[in-house]
Amino acid sequence: MAWELATFSPDLFREPAPIEGVDITVVRPGEPVRITHVLDAVEPRIRPDGRPAFPTEGGAGEGRTNRLDGVVVLSCLDFAAEERPLHEQESIVDLGGPGAAYTPFARETCIVLTFRPGEGGNEAAEATARRTSLRVAEELARPTLDAEPAQVETFELGAADENLPRVAALIQLSDLGPLYHLYVYGTPAGQAGLPRIVDPAELLDGAVTSGEYHWAAMRNPTICFQRNALVRSLYADHGKRLRFAGVVLMRGYEQSAEDKQRVAKAAVARAQELGADGVIITTDAGGNSHTDVMLTCRACERAGIRTTVVLAEETDPESTRPILTDWVPEADSIVSTGNLEELVPEWRPERVLGGDKLLDGTAAAEAGLIPVRNYLGAANQMGQLTLGARSA
Amino acid sequence: VKAVHYLNQFFAGMGGEDKAETPPTRIEGPVGPGRGLAAELGAVEIVATLACGDDYFAEQEEEALRTLLAYLEEDRPDVLIAGPAFGSGRYGYACGTLTAAAAERGISAVAALHPENPGVDAAGKAYVVPTAVNVAGMRDALPRLAKVAAALAERGELGPAEEEGYLPRGFRRNYFAEKTGAERAVDLLLAKLAGETKTEVGGGLDRVEPPARVPDLSAVLVALVTEAGCVPQGNPDRLPSVRAQGWLRYDLDGEETLSSARYESVHGGFDVTLANEDPNRLVPLDAARQLEREGRIGRLHETFYTTTGNGTPVVMATRFGREIAAELERAGVGAVLLSGT
Repeated sequence: MAWELATFSPDLFREPAPIEGVDITVVRPGEPVRITHVLDAVEPRIRPDGRPAFPTEGGAGEGRTNRLDGVVVLSCLDFAAEERPLHEQESIVDLGGPGAAYTPFARETCIVLTFRPGEGGNEAAEATARRTSLRVAEELARPTLDAEPAQVETFELGAADENLPRVAALIQLSDLGPLYHLYVYGTPAGQAGLPRIVDPAELLDGAVTSGEYHWAAMRNPTICFQRNALVRSLYADHGKRLRFAGVVLMRGYEQSAEDKQRVAKAAVARAQELGADGVIITTDAGGNSHTDVMLTCRACERAGIRTTVVLAEETDPESTRPILTDWVPEADSIVSTGNLEELVPEWRPERVLGGDKLLDGTAAAEAGLIPVRNYLGAANQMGQLTLGARSA
Repeated sequence: VKAVHYLNQFFAGMGGEDKAETPPTRIEGPVGPGRGLAAELGAVEIVATLACGDDYFAEQEEEALRTLLAYLEEDRPDVLIAGPAFGSGRYGYACGTLTAAAAERGISAVAALHPENPGVDAAGKAYVVPTAVNVAGMRDALPRLAKVAAALAERGELGPAEEEGYLPRGFRRNYFAEKTGAERAVDLLLAKLAGETKTEVGGGLDRVEPPARVPDLSAVLVALVTEAGCVPQGNPDRLPSVRAQGWLRYDLDGEETLSSARYESVHGGFDVTLANEDPNRLVPLDAARQLEREGRIGRLHETFYTTTGNGTPVVMATRFGREIAAELERAGVGAVLLSGT
């Protein structure tokens, strides 16, 4: 039997490594820890048939997927200060103190991955950190392959009473360029052929992943798609209060007035294909994307499709008028996921992971009052959490 | 649990308009409407009534407040109750002003007023229970006022306006709902489809009406204004890339173009690579100079105004706009080319 061993020049290793290393910390429920510079939160998932848990070539929402309950992967990266084409914003997860009510991970075991950037720039570091986090989440779920599930849920939309209203979810995914992307099957939302109809189960099953690092509270981390409260609610109500017509993914941050109008109309066309009587329009990020949502709301209402819009308030600490960044009179049914600018009381964690200093230079352990805006997913505009705001 | 009740001279039984000059006075226990209120207050006892003439309060507000607050400091009640003053302007204003001052000093306070009474604005962070416009609404108002006052005496702070029965004070508070935002959205949409439209947040914006057309651009001074974060290279005045707290002005010094050697954008909300290749893409000085040479605009204002429009609260942006507009007006500017990003 012959064997060949080929040797190559060490020059091949000269490629700069975008990530120099990663620190892994396991935080048990109840530990008084603050985590900073958080990029994403991912639930461990794996498919028994060997297909990827976060597929890039379609096929989510079929067969079976295993999820590991009570465990979440939190990835952290403090970008190098230079060469930021877009500025990532502070992103905090508190596992104790008053902030823990805003970031719902305190009751779970957190696997915290703190990436140390190497050479090659921020975009390369981010891409490596993002893909690595998804792979770690997949590996963490591997023990489920040899275990018995505690519960199996089936997601399918069977026949339902035709008198019930047909309701679709229009889910906005932002794409404003590097560091501000959501991904559909691994492709940035802006290049993913949106608006497009997907099976609701695809959304729950890893078709959409996160790579957006704008205002933390308005982000849609990957776990918010995996555990999407809106899609789950609509499945649960299907055949009872409504008929779940389906999900349309649409892009936020269209760059011109013309594109904004065009895309709003295209989203309506998709909703009409689904035969929707009513739609729930969700929002991703702030400012510009709120205009996209309002235009989509108007276009739907003009086409006779009733709308409810989900968005956050982002004016000042007391949310005085005007409360919303943009608004059209057709938006007469709005869910508020809270005011980003309200301040969360001070808390001193015993330990800080992710980085000792916040982006503004203050010590993370003694940061004083922190606006809701800086807590990851706290005012998630898909309505993932219970936060709201009301007149006082 | 102690309450102090504020009334004007009329409701305190001292007399009508002829006694409106009566200075503040303290009476033991409840009087007038305070008796009816006491019956509704349960465990909360009205230990004293403060009374003041409407004219006295209006004409000598500072002195009146000083005396009334001194009484309050002595009694240290768990809640101050004022009115009901219904639609009465002077009385309502006194109720609002006194409750606001008490609230600022950490004493829970509630007034009962008609929603259009000027006292509502004066009440600031104190609570206002809505009433009818005149005294015919007394019987309806007292139990509702008592309910809010008792809750306030007990808890020091109240839940949302809608649930607790007071007028919204012009601001909002976060809370954790029983349902997720997603579940609330499904509820709202189904209600709307069934014909009952509700919302958790009202819209309404300051719609900026397009101004009248400039009749002759060739006769006016035109200014360049931007929120694109365009500043001299090196950002000497440290304009923030996000959440700017103000705006800046820079002289154009007769320059023909914004060269990339001298200007850059520090905006943190979009990819500035292309903008920084040619800052005229943000502030079109080159094109504006061309129009000036051709006589299509009268003259270019030799100062441009800049800020970063990124994560800026609307109230803050409104202030920037007002301040910049005021300067432009003083300089005689007749038209603005405002570039946004």
